[in-house]
Amino acid sequence: MELGLLGAGIGAGISVFGAALGIGRLAASALEASGRQPEAAGDLRTTMIIAAALIEGVAFFALVICLLMAL
Amino acid sequence: MSKNNTQNESLKQELTEEVDAIKHDLEEEVQTEDNPVNEILDGMGDHDVFSWGPLHLDILPVILYDEGQFHFYGNRESMEQSGEYTTEHHHIVDANTHETPDLDLSITNMVAFQWIAMILLAVIFFTVSRKAKKNGSNPPKGIQNLFESVIVFVRDDVVKPNITGKAADRLLPYFFILFLFILVLNLMGLLPGGHTATATLGVSAALAIVAFFIINYTAMRESGLKAWFHHLLGGAPWWLGFLMIPIEIASLFIKPFSLTIRLFANMVAGHTVLFSLMGLLFLFQSIIIAPAIVGFATFINLLELLVAFLQAYIFTMLTAIFVGLAVGEHSHDEEHAH
Repeated sequence: MELGLLGAGIGAGISVFGAALGIGRLAASALEASGRQPEAAGDLRTTMIIAAALIEGVAFFALVICLLMAL
Repeated sequence: MSKNNTQNESLKQELTEEVDAIKHDLEEEVQTEDNPVNEILDGMGDHDVFSWGPLHLDILPVILYDEGQFHFYGNRESMEQSGEYTTEHHHIVDANTHETPDLDLSITNMVAFQWIAMILLAVIFFTVSRKAKKNGSNPPKGIQNLFESVIVFVRDDVVKPNITGKAADRLLPYFFILFLFILVLNLMGLLPGGHTATATLGVSAALAIVAFFIINYTAMRESGLKAWFHHLLGGAPWWLGFLMIPIEIASLFIKPFSLTIRLFANMVAGHTVLFSLMGLLFLFQSIIIAPAIVGFATFINLLELLVAFLQAYIFTMLTAIFVGLAVGEHSHDEEHAH
């Protein structure tokens, strides 16, 4: 039981790590792009939020699995 | 001598097994009773009675379908008084056979919260439309101004960029209601004592199932049944069909599934963090740490406010994008243009 909880915790940590890397890269690229082309900032923001939501969705799949493992 | 030994051994083994079983039972009991995770999920989950903060009202009707007929009761108490069904461990069971009914269609707390949101939205819409009629062509004021800006936002930033042609105008009311309904449900969960209906899988799944039908119906209507089947190939040549068709069919169902999980997990995650922070207060019970925890909880609550808006926007936006993708380049307008 204790090992299961440990696995769930480690799994949640790793999945959040991946999602953070992805969203961080995404935000960095979006900022860079809107710095080069400020007039496209609005469109970029929308696209960025959508892509972030998709990344987040995958991370949440992993988190839900971890949570189910912990219960 | 050896016989005695084996007897001792078997007795010893029996005893250890028995002790292990008792230990296991005790552990299970402790876990089901004192597990904070279970407690948190219990507090956030659905309830049989209408509850807002400390208020628990037994006013929700019970609808059961058992052995081919429906049973209606005004509330839990009248159900138990009728002597036909009773509650055991938060589950409704037959009073005589102690079996659960075939189908429990009772109105639960989350359904009640959705009804409150619907009534709230209906009242607001009728007020706004009456004001708009009375106002004529004068510039809008107050609540009318607020809702006109929301409508314009949904039309110009969500629906029009993603969906082309007549389908955009036809689907605008759906997207507008979808946005406001999710938003109101999320915000009601942030009121003190309120419950977030979107933080239950059933509610977000229902919203996503509606989105699934809207996506495919619009695609079939706009680009025709033939094009809809053709898009199952994903633009690949026909001999790749054995690979593409299963993938595309799976992606049809993964879209609403990911919408469900995204909304559900986002709403649950924020509330779990808030619950855990509040739990730290009771864990430490010290006046030095309390201000820090309260400050951090306030920050998370404000973050939740952002998430409430963001998730309503994302759900609407992704549905619009999926509709746009499903309609694709086969829409009538573009076909005529070629």
